[in-house]
Amino acid sequence: MDDSHARKFQKDLNSGLVALVLLAVLDRTSEDLYGYEIAKRLQKANEGEALFKEGTVYPVLRALSANGLLTSRIVPSYAGPPRRYYRITDEGRSALRDWSGIWHQTRDFVDRFIAGVEK
Amino acid sequence: MTRAAPRSIDEYLKQLREALQDADPALIQDALYDAEEYLRAECASHPDKSEADVLELIASTYGAPDEVAAAYRDTEAKVTAALRPVTPRGVDSPNPLRRFFGVYSDPRAYLSLFYMLLTLATGIVYFVFVVTGLSLSAGLAVLIVGLPFFLMFIGIARVLALGEGRLLEAITGERMPRRPVHPGPSLGLWARIAAMLSDPRTWTTLAYLLLMLPIGIFYFVVAIFGISLGGALIVGPFLVFAQYLGWDINGGESLVQPALLAAPLVAPFTIALGLLIFTALMHAARGVGRMQVALARALLVKPGM
Repeated sequence: MDDSHARKFQKDLNSGLVALVLLAVLDRTSEDLYGYEIAKRLQKANEGEALFKEGTVYPVLRALSANGLLTSRIVPSYAGPPRRYYRITDEGRSALRDWSGIWHQTRDFVDRFIAGVEK
Repeated sequence: MTRAAPRSIDEYLKQLREALQDADPALIQDALYDAEEYLRAECASHPDKSEADVLELIASTYGAPDEVAAAYRDTEAKVTAALRPVTPRGVDSPNPLRRFFGVYSDPRAYLSLFYMLLTLATGIVYFVFVVTGLSLSAGLAVLIVGLPFFLMFIGIARVLALGEGRLLEAITGERMPRRPVHPGPSLGLWARIAAMLSDPRTWTTLAYLLLMLPIGIFYFVVAIFGISLGGALIVGPFLVFAQYLGWDINGGESLVQPALLAAPLVAPFTIALGLLIFTALMHAARGVGRMQVALARALLVKPGM
């Protein structure tokens, strides 16, 4: 099997899904999180084998923040450069609701076609 | 592009910077800042390992510099594509007459004309606000409430500046800031006040708000002049014709002085002149929109933000 096809497919899928997952993670916690914590939470949830590189989380966080779906504040840290903490906005929550709806619809649609395909 | 895997945080950041060489400086800044945060946190959470050992695993967790650089580029390209302004139509016609009158199909021209009329009102409000705020701040400076009052005044001035930017973006479609400038690292209260006072943008914002009164008066006068003169020249001959047909307007007195302007042979030229003046005003309005954006960029938006 050609591994590069699988990798490219995974990358294309991730381009929108990472944003959805990030919104969901930030919606679920009451505290503000910074990039490293978010990346580690995602990694833990997937039992080691990461679906995407943690480095790709950061630009998406910035894009979401630039579009008003997240707010951020900078907090100085002892361990290195100041950290940027993110929190979901009301606009982000309503986007999360919309996007989850789209995701469920898409998943059901895709499942209907690939149900018979063997793994 | 294969390079030796980075062995230290500094080396990683250097490679990331190289991979992003031709990108926007703000984007490079973001990427380096994010990577450093992650790498330092990763090292801190593995105190038993050396920096080199941690970096060895980075390519499989955070991603190699090239990969990370590509992720930032992709995201940036998507965001800027979504924010690209619409191009106006009918401005590049080879026919000069069509190009001249094409302004009527440009919604921005109407919006700018409306803006010209609006600036008298906003100009007065801004001017009164700044003059009152500054003089009350100076007067109250000897009292304990002077300082909080002044800070509140500057805060409101920033909100007004943001509002003016949003208004200009709505009218011209040019990208203006969407939210106030991030306060940056949270310093102490006094350090923040000092930073605000030494920030030239604070003062240029006040200057812009003051300037809007004379500018607003000028725009308003030009707009009213164009609308009334152009409109009168266009409508006048028709009204005179209506009077001639026996319609009782203005007690039978000629509405157009000198009456020659409405004479049968001259009337078409009068109407054409009115159209010309009105169309020129629409062009001027469009120019005003562009000029105002340039002025707002210079005075309200921090260079490089």
